[in-house]
Amino acid sequence: MGRKVLLDKAHIEGIRYYDVYRKNGGYAAVEKALKMAPGDVVEEVKKSGLRGRGGAGFPTGMKWSFLAKPEGVPRYLVCNADESEPGTFKDRYLMEFLPHLLIEGLIVASWALGSNRTYIYIRGEYAWIVDILEQAIAEANQAGFLGKNILGTGFDCQIYVQRGAGAYICGEETALIESLEGKRGNPRIKPPFPAIKGLYDCPTVVNNVETLAAVVPIMNLGGEEYAKIGVGKSTGTKLISACGNINKPGVYEIDMTQSVEEFIFSDEYCGGIANGKRLKACIPGGSSVPILPANLLLKTAKGEQRMMTYESLADGGFPTGSMMGSGGFIVLDEDQCVVRHTLSLARFYRHESCGQCSPCREGTGWMEKILTKLEYGKGQMSDIDLLWDIQRKIEGNTICPLGDAAAWPVAAAIRHFRDEFEWHVTHPEEAQVRNFGLAHYADPLEVAVG
Amino acid sequence: MSEEKKLFKVTIDNITVDVEPGTTILMAARKIGGDVVPPAMCFYSKLQGSGGKCRTCLVRVAAGSTADPRPMPKLVASCRTTVMDGMVVENITNPAVLEARKGVVEFLLLNHPLDCPVCDQAGECDLQDLSYEHGSQGTRYEFKRRTFERIDIGPYIQLHMTRCILCYRCVYTANQVAGNRDHGVLDRGDHAQIATYVEKALDSNMIGNVIDVCPVGALTDRTFRFKNRVWFTKPVDAHRNCSCCSGKVRLWMRGDDVLRVTARKDQWGEVEEWICNECRFEKKKVSDWVIEGNTKLDRHSVINAGHYTNVVKPKETFKDVMKGRDPKLLMDIHEVSQVNTVDLNVLPGPATAATFNGNPNATGTNVTDVKQGTGRNLAGTDTTNAH
Repeated sequence: MGRKVLLDKAHIEGIRYYDVYRKNGGYAAVEKALKMAPGDVVEEVKKSGLRGRGGAGFPTGMKWSFLAKPEGVPRYLVCNADESEPGTFKDRYLMEFLPHLLIEGLIVASWALGSNRTYIYIRGEYAWIVDILEQAIAEANQAGFLGKNILGTGFDCQIYVQRGAGAYICGEETALIESLEGKRGNPRIKPPFPAIKGLYDCPTVVNNVETLAAVVPIMNLGGEEYAKIGVGKSTGTKLISACGNINKPGVYEIDMTQSVEEFIFSDEYCGGIANGKRLKACIPGGSSVPILPANLLLKTAKGEQRMMTYESLADGGFPTGSMMGSGGFIVLDEDQCVVRHTLSLARFYRHESCGQCSPCREGTGWMEKILTKLEYGKGQMSDIDLLWDIQRKIEGNTICPLGDAAAWPVAAAIRHFRDEFEWHVTHPEEAQVRNFGLAHYADPLEVAVG
Repeated sequence: MSEEKKLFKVTIDNITVDVEPGTTILMAARKIGGDVVPPAMCFYSKLQGSGGKCRTCLVRVAAGSTADPRPMPKLVASCRTTVMDGMVVENITNPAVLEARKGVVEFLLLNHPLDCPVCDQAGECDLQDLSYEHGSQGTRYEFKRRTFERIDIGPYIQLHMTRCILCYRCVYTANQVAGNRDHGVLDRGDHAQIATYVEKALDSNMIGNVIDVCPVGALTDRTFRFKNRVWFTKPVDAHRNCSCCSGKVRLWMRGDDVLRVTARKDQWGEVEEWICNECRFEKKKVSDWVIEGNTKLDRHSVINAGHYTNVVKPKETFKDVMKGRDPKLLMDIHEVSQVNTVDLNVLPGPATAATFNGNPNATGTNVTDVKQGTGRNLAGTDTTNAH
């Protein structure tokens, strides 16, 4: 049983409301933090080793200490709640059931960074969560944890919720800032980074919902105590949103001591593959990260057990590894077709590309067209090489990471499942009537299920 | 005077140059000149915030600076990356850069129609030059290209989105030079389009400049469209007293007719001074202008059969830089296509149809002797065209 520090109170009836949350030890972190100097709070987060939960895994304390602090210029904290990655739905759970946890984390972080105006940029589709958050903010205001002169410290802070209009690209921090300013959500060219020039050209920190919520247990436990949870540089707990062909899809909090095998097959977490099928492949960190076939998923290339940590999931780099990403754990069983799966991802990225820089704008559409051709039995062998060449020319050549995110899934699918692509070329009729892939990728470890 | 500013030393393709802090790699390369300059389709030094979008100017930074000589992990857009002291940049000397650039050209041409012969921009098109220099021979794209209807925005400008490469230059121009926001980008991804909101005509007096900044044939001059091919017209510098702009323009003449008026462009294809709509669209008579003399044609132009003045020749080190390979220069295009064999620069006056039909010495009858470069005001002296 892993340790829980974020969702440990999620089961309490009415925890969504201030009174219940407060009764169960809520807002203790604010009371503690506001007695400390802002710099000490940053130090505490640094000590905790907390890494950004939005995907890149950049150390949060470092990010906070990079924030420029020029005189007479406001600083902003922005909470990135534009959770649009296919397969990731952890922030939704957190905001829907524990809104005060996020508000509390935001107040602590605003104090640490000196932000008097803090924004939650929320995905437009999460319309009902906006109401939940606004109610929580109103309750916190009433209780004196927000507004003017919080707890008599003279610190003013107000939180505003801003709804996005349903663009995936606005989850990229600079596009989010543009959108928040009321402009078209095009990513900015970096440098300058938001820590120097962000919202309204002022120093800005953009953090994921889960990262900011994790600040609360860090304050309650102390940075060093928090760092003891987890393994090595993967400290603390991580929310994993598991979905796909598993028995128990949902959001799980892990303390990163679990192995991937345990996470998929134990009844505490995913509960094994649904319908007695076998495991074929898995995307461990949201749609943008490389897909891994079963053999590489459970064991690294070196033959070690693969663990649910940042380091272990990335072990072997892209040739044989993947990434923790945002924790969208998508499991594919033996009946799933990797070509069709890759096509649906490519279609998503084509639709969500902002169209600002040419490799991503044109390349994503091209990849989708070729994958459609392959999937519907009209492809040629040369198309597979062409696809490989296109993704290689997109990756790393774009303004923002969306280009990489579009290229990696295609690259990994061809790298690990090339003969399934070739099968689509050699068996065009069968590929159209039967939507399975090649079952021989499934379950090389022969984990008995059913 | 303030104390002398410390200059940064940058090495681009083994050529070192001193530039001021805050300069971008691209501008440093332009200071060197020649073919170490990365091509730029979206960057425009006179438009704030432009650049970084087309990715044709990608270069590799082999060493970040003297203080931190680590290479940068990815290729960077040279138009938006500022130099550091001791930076080492690889442009045409790095095969990975050329390969990436080839990829970008392919992406840019993916949805761009390959019908230069019927395009009005042909001959002065940045994308045409770019694909000649950096592209591959054929296309690997076998699907339908996106197409749009042509839209007339106002009485002077036509927008043909089919040809657009979404460089955003016109958007910045409309914002910064023409000063209104009727013009922007709608939709996203590969179906994004430049649009005037609800097809509104752009009525700013400076909006004609979007034609000059457009690197392709997406925005064209309705008063000139299909009147002539640019390589048959002769550029002449001229000026007039204008109340709202500098009045310094370039006339594109054939015979005694002024077919088109544009702003003057420098060797990087950027306008020197913005001009107003009145100068650009209304003044189509020789008598409206004071002729200054022949335009000096530079590397950016394919209109004059290789008779360039002002060509920035590659430096001595160039052969070493290219490791023995011959440079592929735009001026060599005439070996491929004989567009025009008439040497317009030595003609005493503007060319006429006869000039191109076997009588290379035929010129217009009543135009100043531009060859001497003296420049004379034609207003009043021209009895045939004045009124």
